[in-house]
Amino acid sequence: MRFVLRRLGFYLVAFWVSVTLNFLLPRVMPGDPISRMMSQSQGRMTPEQVVQMQALFGLDNRPILQQYIGYWHSLFTGEMGVSISRFPTPVSEVIASQIGWTILLGSTALLIAVVIGNLLGILAAWRRGGVLDSALPPILVFIGSFPYFWLAMGALDVFGVVLGWFPLRHAFSAGATPSLSPEFIGDVAMHLVLPAMTIVVVSVGGWMLAMRNTMITTTSEDYIVMAEAKGLKANRIMFRYAARNATLPAVTNFGMAIGFVVGGALLTEVVFAYPGVGFQLLSAVTALDYPLMQGIFLTITGAVLVANFIVDMVYVRLDPRVRAS
Amino acid sequence: MAHRRFNTKARVLAALAVAGGLALAGCSGATTGSGDLDGTQLLTIPREDKATFSANFNPFSPNSMPMTQQAIYEPMFVFNPTDGTTTPWLATDWASSEDGMGVTFTLRDSVQWSDGDPMTAEDVVFSFELQKELLGGFEYLENVTADGAKVVFTYNTAFSPGLFEIGQQIIIPKHIWADIADPANETNSEPVGTGPYTEVTNFQTQSYSLLRNPHYWQPDKQKIEGILMLAFAGNDPANLATTNGETDWADQFIPNVQNAFVAKDSEHRGYWFPSVDAMINLQLNTTKAPFDDVAVRKAISMAIDREEVTSVAMQGYTHPADCTGLSDAYGTWRSADVVASCDWTTLDVKGANALLDDAGYPQGADGTRTLPDGSPFAFDISVGSASSDWLSVANIISQNLAEIGVTATVNSPDWSAVVAGYEDGSFDSGIVWSNNAPTPYQYYRGVMSTATVLPVGEQAFQNYHRFGLPAADDLLAQFAASGDDAEQVTVMNELQAVYAENAPLVPLFPGPRWGVYNTTRFTGFPSEDNPYAPLSTRSTTAVLVLTTLEPVVSK
Amino acid sequence: MSATDASEVVILAASAQPEKVPAEPLPGPRARREGLVRSLLRNRKAFAGLVIIAIFLLLALLAPVLAPGDPSLITSLGAKAPSTEHLFGTTPKGQDVLALTMWGSRSSLLVGFVVGLAATAIAILVGLTSAFYGRAIDDGLSLVTNVFLLLPGLPLLVILAAFLPRGLGTVILVLTITGWAGGARVLRSQALSIRGKDFVAAAIVTGETRFRIMFREILPNMASIVMITLLGTVIFGIGAQAGLEFLGLGDPSVVSWGTNLYWASNDGALISGYWWAFVPSGAAIAFVAFALALINYGVDEVSNPRLRTARRRPFGTGTEVAR
Repeated sequence: MRFVLRRLGFYLVAFWVSVTLNFLLPRVMPGDPISRMMSQSQGRMTPEQVVQMQALFGLDNRPILQQYIGYWHSLFTGEMGVSISRFPTPVSEVIASQIGWTILLGSTALLIAVVIGNLLGILAAWRRGGVLDSALPPILVFIGSFPYFWLAMGALDVFGVVLGWFPLRHAFSAGATPSLSPEFIGDVAMHLVLPAMTIVVVSVGGWMLAMRNTMITTTSEDYIVMAEAKGLKANRIMFRYAARNATLPAVTNFGMAIGFVVGGALLTEVVFAYPGVGFQLLSAVTALDYPLMQGIFLTITGAVLVANFIVDMVYVRLDPRVRAS
Repeated sequence: MAHRRFNTKARVLAALAVAGGLALAGCSGATTGSGDLDGTQLLTIPREDKATFSANFNPFSPNSMPMTQQAIYEPMFVFNPTDGTTTPWLATDWASSEDGMGVTFTLRDSVQWSDGDPMTAEDVVFSFELQKELLGGFEYLENVTADGAKVVFTYNTAFSPGLFEIGQQIIIPKHIWADIADPANETNSEPVGTGPYTEVTNFQTQSYSLLRNPHYWQPDKQKIEGILMLAFAGNDPANLATTNGETDWADQFIPNVQNAFVAKDSEHRGYWFPSVDAMINLQLNTTKAPFDDVAVRKAISMAIDREEVTSVAMQGYTHPADCTGLSDAYGTWRSADVVASCDWTTLDVKGANALLDDAGYPQGADGTRTLPDGSPFAFDISVGSASSDWLSVANIISQNLAEIGVTATVNSPDWSAVVAGYEDGSFDSGIVWSNNAPTPYQYYRGVMSTATVLPVGEQAFQNYHRFGLPAADDLLAQFAASGDDAEQVTVMNELQAVYAENAPLVPLFPGPRWGVYNTTRFTGFPSEDNPYAPLSTRSTTAVLVLTTLEPVVSK
Repeated sequence: MSATDASEVVILAASAQPEKVPAEPLPGPRARREGLVRSLLRNRKAFAGLVIIAIFLLLALLAPVLAPGDPSLITSLGAKAPSTEHLFGTTPKGQDVLALTMWGSRSSLLVGFVVGLAATAIAILVGLTSAFYGRAIDDGLSLVTNVFLLLPGLPLLVILAAFLPRGLGTVILVLTITGWAGGARVLRSQALSIRGKDFVAAAIVTGETRFRIMFREILPNMASIVMITLLGTVIFGIGAQAGLEFLGLGDPSVVSWGTNLYWASNDGALISGYWWAFVPSGAAIAFVAFALALINYGVDEVSNPRLRTARRRPFGTGTEVAR
């Protein structure tokens, strides 16, 4: 299919551009990681050690084109190098140890927000002028207008500290050993509630509004009138005719969003001390840890591109008009 | 009809969701905090600078996990800066040679590694060899040899401060590390050490435990079951855990510690911030006019309201510096004479104005001063954006300097950019740390020795302000060569006088070493009344605390 | 909105169904624009939003008059609860919170609107050019747009903000770079569907210059989508700026809502229970973002009459669907 090939070609080019940007960005930044470590130690690191460490970390001094080629080579061999800020732990190990939690938190929050948001949107559109339609969107948008970290800290304070309903940090109780037992899964779920719910609360308004508006336009189409005239039940029309067509833009947005889940939720991880790639990236950036930064960027770019490609393919199946164009 | 059925469906779904939520709530039973204390509780310590942990216990790595150098590996002795005492540890005795060209340590016998092998002098020799090979330093060290239970260190130049560097070097097992092909890149995830808590258990990215070393040489001092380290992404979540009573011992920066932390349970909670960390200074780049003029440096110093700086920006956690520039770690070295005759570290706006007027920096009609060549007397103060307390310090200084007609603008990019400016000498001024070691030798060397001055453009890792005095060089050499305590004191007094006369930089306040404790589950923490160690979890002295703590057992 | 997801702009903009043209274009550009503004003012939601924005703009302009002096001056007052002397209390550094909030609106609104205008301007340029010229130029610009969309926004923000010199200029630059792509995509689809219309073909045939066609024929008919994109980007700008500053990546010497929150957190206002230092700036951001969202709502409803609040029909059929 020509469409598939075109999209594939586009993604390959996008991948190349992102990888090159990944490569250039850290090398453009001022300073070097060891001086950064020195400033953080505030006098505990001796000046003599700094010189030695530069050799230890094997900072690259080859010409930049050689480094670039070496970078591509390491991409294909999957070798992402050794992290500087977590020396000598390999980058792949650092990322792998947290990517699971990132995906868990991000996809849980995203799925809940998408499902609830779209359902609410469909219902709101179906019952125009009802409570759902007039009261809920403004409320949700208002809640979503607060800066996320502000809401998150407030939620943590109210539900965690004051009411004590939920744990205050981390992905599971400190000292527990991960297993597939119901207790552990329950523990993880309890720790997931506050972080995931704050993300859901902030983003559900957007999904709901989008779905509602799309639904409203869709329900005014002639074929809906025809279906009603034919006597089909309201439920059936709403879900099997109107909603199906209205979900198309939502699918595209969902695709984009699921790719970004891999990038972590930085502010959530900071406020709730939830292990994740987002804060990892921030600290890698501030520590000038080039290998780790590049590794994380690569993971995010790869995931986003793959997710988008899959969504594009799914979209082709869902919307025949795309195939025709 | 259709609506009603739909409504019912929705209501049933909602009810199910609520029920599911409640069920999950019932599922997890884990709670933190105190309950029944049977003495096996783990000492819980937060770390706010490592958002997640990676299993790296390599003591040569600058990023090794917390407690690697405190609970897993040990040095030959432990120096306590709060009271200046030295506690023999893996060594029972040491003696410097007469000519100051070496020192001999006598090792404690029957010390075992956590895998059961005995610790010998060979391990000490190997530790220094590997340290030198991987991280350098110890330039004065010529040779390390084992002699039965003794280790003999010979220097190539007289260097009396070397005693402390050698004594606090951690010792690693030769029988493990000699077999490692690439020690620099070794993560050492199952470490073998002599320390009290070496058994890494239940390692997760968000926490890990260290349990008792089965072969520890002080088994009666291993009263606590073990340590539980918790990872946090920044101060705020770590502070939340601490103020909520879920940690026992913490040393991250807690703002407003009295109200936020202690007041919640003043019977059990306390804090102690002895100012034994490096002196924090306003460093003026002496390669740029007018900072090469000692009158300007002293005038700027006199215009700064150190009381406001320490009580507002540093929240009262420390106190102003004096003309010796020495932090509280050097209490025994401080010269009373110099302190008594000190005139440029107390707030004196009139005096500052007078100094600048006399030195030829006229004040214009609008109140701002100009340099002799006519350009405005204005400069930048650089400080890294991540240090919000130092940022407040810089802001206050900027406000203070406006009173004497000097325009100081605070410039706060990320630390890496700031430090790059320090290192190549392109900065104007900055809020900077200084060297901190058991004796003031490294401090003064880094502040006014010509040996540490590098030209602008060449990367320097100390003496960013590039100031050197030959007189200071002589005194420093005398100090290093001398093995006699009384002689060292005399020389140090002279160094302080030189410092006070020349004001190489503007000392602000000695850095506080943070530490808070909670005696609900453990007792025996050091405090101001019992300063056997500072409350830091990150210094060598932490092992003193670990071997003194006792768990609380409640009925 | 949330700085965790820059694609919020896409979601907000998608609420206007770019796939279908919402309303028939009225003849002539000028009449259309006036109609939009006037009908906005008549719309209740948009009017409420405009009033709120106007109040904040007024506060921002009058801050030097209402709260003279430097609000960030550090004093030894310490943190004090709200009282008659300090309506919103003082921060742990002895600064008046009300003054900080008022002065903060200047920087936050400035950055928000500049980012919104700049990003939307770029989006219009790219989207229109892409749609109008088609083929190679379209492919190229689409590629650029999509690459920017696929770059992870927050990490890029973090990197750029951490290493460019501190200042509002950097924040604006960084947010514009990461914020324009979503709008460009939406505007391109919209422009594409308008381009297929007859009057555009007519304009081409009569020999109008491309520039004129793009900006005098197509653009005015996209007014509502442009407005929605603009408002969405302003919301993104204000929220992302606050997020960056809270992480300490903004310019801490500037007084803005984000830096107020940063200092409140770093000076221990939260854990000491000094909630008054933390609440006003967050609430201010929420109100402004909400007001902009209300205006967005209004524009949606004005341009797509079907979206207006439906009144229940007295003679009910089985289903209630607004037509």
